[in-house]
Amino acid sequence: MISFVQDTTQTGTGETTAYDSVWAHTGVPVQQPKGFEQVMLSEDKLYVVLAVVLIIWFGIVFFLFRTDRKIARLERSVEKGIPVEHPDHG
Amino acid sequence: MARPGVNLKLYRNARVIVVVWMTAVLLAAFLLRIPRIHILEHTARNLYFHVPMWFTLMAGMIVSVYHSIRYLGTPDLVRDVRAAAAARVAVLFGLLGLTTGIVWAHYTWYQGTGLWWNFDPKQSMAAVELLIYGGYFVLRSTIDDPQKRARMAAVYNIFAFVTMPFLLYVLPRQMESLHPGAEGNPAFSQITAPIMRAVFYPAIIGFFGIFWLLYTQRVRLALIKQRALGDVEL
Repeated sequence: MISFVQDTTQTGTGETTAYDSVWAHTGVPVQQPKGFEQVMLSEDKLYVVLAVVLIIWFGIVFFLFRTDRKIARLERSVEKGIPVEHPDHG
Repeated sequence: MARPGVNLKLYRNARVIVVVWMTAVLLAAFLLRIPRIHILEHTARNLYFHVPMWFTLMAGMIVSVYHSIRYLGTPDLVRDVRAAAAARVAVLFGLLGLTTGIVWAHYTWYQGTGLWWNFDPKQSMAAVELLIYGGYFVLRSTIDDPQKRARMAAVYNIFAFVTMPFLLYVLPRQMESLHPGAEGNPAFSQITAPIMRAVFYPAIIGFFGIFWLLYTQRVRLALIKQRALGDVEL
């Protein structure tokens, strides 16, 4: 495990603490960004925010689809008069 | 209300409000100008998305454990349905919180290292917490008798809930972490621009709203299903 947390007691000046770049480039192996990573880091990393929003969006959509599938299964059971299965398995 | 059913009128109105509200939050999240800070740059905006995931997990689990406790008081299966649905949606938000955190860290603090996971204490504890809740659903699926399942699940749920403050809030603050919190506030660090709170708090409310919609949908479905099962008590 690489430590990314700056010792704020020594270099912290209030405004530049744990999230400043002062510490990040010390002792950390630096690989040059290329390809997809370069895209993600462009525009001041705005695309990282887009990625995060998309992850949440797809997570919610995934959940909606699961609910939808449960509804469809229940509909089929009710129409055919088949006993409904365990509530947790639907 | 005597029976803890679903208020459909409230649900339909809330649906509209949540959609409008979240649209405004999304616009503000991207359009509001924020001070530039190193490493984070625009990703500071993830405060509006990543952090509310965990607030929603916590809120959802409070809803879940509330219904579990109520079930143990009066064995009404609607309580069990609500506890399970709330936990399920809460876990969804937990997984989203974990995933967004991984992506966020990879392109900021871990940039240049190629790392996706570096055992940040809070992140690891959150993963453990989600596994504990995974156990809740495994337990549920192994018991067929509804009343017995509800009782066992309620007891386990209380145990799982009790571990959460320690795993997510107490322990990570004792260790070196990228997450703020050691200073006292779990969401903000000293360099979080005050203006960001104007979007952050509405974002939390909006995600609570989304949680409530997804949760209510599941509750409605489960109640219909239980009626179809012929459970006269419902």
